[in-house]
Amino acid sequence: MNLVEKVLARASGRDSVEAGDVVVANVDRLVMHDLSSYLTSKVYEDRIGEPLPFPDRVVTVFDHLFSPPTELQADVLNANRTWSKKRGTQLFDCGNGNIHHVLMRNGLAQPGTIVVGSDSHTPVHGAVGALAVALGNDSHAGTVMPFGNAWFRVPEVVQIEISGATPVGTSARDVALWLVKELGEGSLIYKGLEFTGPYIKQLSFWDRWLFPVLCVDLGAKCGFIEPDDVTRDFVATLPGARLDLLVNGDGDNIADVHRFDVSDLPPQVACPPTVGNVVPVDEVAGTPVQWAELGGHGGGRLEDIALAAEVLRGRDVHPEVKFNIVPSSRAVFAEALEAGFVAALHAAGATWFPPSTGSNQTANMGAMSAGEAMISTHSRNFPGRNGSSEAAMYLSSALTVAASALDGRIADPRALVGGRVPVGAKGGVA
Amino acid sequence: MNDGMRFEGRCWKFGDNIPTDALVKSAYVFDPMSEIVTHVLEDQNPRFPVEVRPGDIVVAGRHFGQSSGRAIATKALKATGIGCVVADTFARTFFRNCFEIGLPSLEVSGVTELVADGDHVIVDLEAGFFRNETRGVERVVPPAPAFLARMLRAGGLISLTRSDPDWAASTGS
Repeated sequence: MNLVEKVLARASGRDSVEAGDVVVANVDRLVMHDLSSYLTSKVYEDRIGEPLPFPDRVVTVFDHLFSPPTELQADVLNANRTWSKKRGTQLFDCGNGNIHHVLMRNGLAQPGTIVVGSDSHTPVHGAVGALAVALGNDSHAGTVMPFGNAWFRVPEVVQIEISGATPVGTSARDVALWLVKELGEGSLIYKGLEFTGPYIKQLSFWDRWLFPVLCVDLGAKCGFIEPDDVTRDFVATLPGARLDLLVNGDGDNIADVHRFDVSDLPPQVACPPTVGNVVPVDEVAGTPVQWAELGGHGGGRLEDIALAAEVLRGRDVHPEVKFNIVPSSRAVFAEALEAGFVAALHAAGATWFPPSTGSNQTANMGAMSAGEAMISTHSRNFPGRNGSSEAAMYLSSALTVAASALDGRIADPRALVGGRVPVGAKGGVA
Repeated sequence: MNDGMRFEGRCWKFGDNIPTDALVKSAYVFDPMSEIVTHVLEDQNPRFPVEVRPGDIVVAGRHFGQSSGRAIATKALKATGIGCVVADTFARTFFRNCFEIGLPSLEVSGVTELVADGDHVIVDLEAGFFRNETRGVERVVPPAPAFLARMLRAGGLISLTRSDPDWAASTGS
């Protein structure tokens, strides 16, 4: 069996499962953010309204709102707090960070377990070897909360095998964006994806993170990296590490393999209107931007902040750009403080925001006026998601974001980092 | 309609890769459904939320309903009163949510090439059948899987689990 089959077989009490089977499996964790928790708890109270048998499996992270700007949103958060207390679920309040980073950093997504969530980027937890799947509110309210389980159709697993070493200035984030274009949005609907190959294997845990996060854009159900020493070393740092639950596939039941070489890949930018509209940076270089941001599910990592600091240390953000930095967790902010990145980027003119999911969906920040443009490490660029439908969101690596913040226009970062920054190497940014 | 699996109605045609953000825009996500429903797909076709009638059928292209996994997007589309939604392909959480909240949906490969706005179309989920009456073209496709058809017939996942305490034991293949 492959990893997905093994996890689903164990969690459904079967000896084996195969692609196409529908099983009801035990769910180890449900994670929701402020918006989905509000909607899901309403469904739960309206339709079910019983005590939760496994309240600690349910986790809410307030990440869209770090400080509610309206009474309505304050009410939403309070409704969530009240519900969490009433039902005994786990709550991480404003200021803790991005939903998925908070879950991972707190040891609440362990290898070999099943993690579900309403957030469509929930598959990111496959980075640690969990089976992580986005479900909808009614699965959460209707089966996960009252029964501790959910229905799953066992997906076919497709390997995405990446080899080569990227040139200086091209990071794991560029590879991930480029993959969405090469494979095609919605091209792998219902599949499970194994990200593998020498390129993936040499990445640090937090750079591997950038691959399963793109499952949703490809249409995939889940994605994972076979746990190895990098995984084990990372899991060992987590609270309540459960290496005993770790599962590896047997290397069989692989429906298809897509192979890529990234040796000559230049930095990439995803342009509106969709995440798969990806071009090499030089095709959009020169496009004016008024906003730049590090943050979101795949951004706001220490790796991102370090790269921005490398570009901007001793320089000034362009006067017409507002460069906002949103750490993905409190731990990342503390690490950035200790490394001197907070002071360096502040001095360069960047603005630090509270750990959260930043401008994702414009709940607390990040609205743009018609004609404005932002370049960011976010995961989404659909028009209307950040204010005006006529504003533009460009997605890129932290290096390209920082280079663009410096230039006031989308900029190729390679001239700034030539030979200086080994991007994406194992061991991260130290 | 018979047994909740066959639908006939006026077609509204939409394109590829339409995200849930187009069904429920960020600005309206906390609003009551009565308000949300007046903005569904308005950027794609401003006439749709104004002129949609009960029993109409939405026909979309590839990867319909990508982006957020929140069921509110499917609930908003259902609240417009449409009979069912047909797409070339669906984003998987959207497809899952359709059945879980009781919005009939069927994948018909290449369907947008078979229809124009206003055509009269027939959809049968259980037979796996799509026909455009106006143009006289039809397609046979894989029908809705049995487990999902059962869920739909029950009125959605929660109705199913409430009415059948043994749903988990009787689910599986």
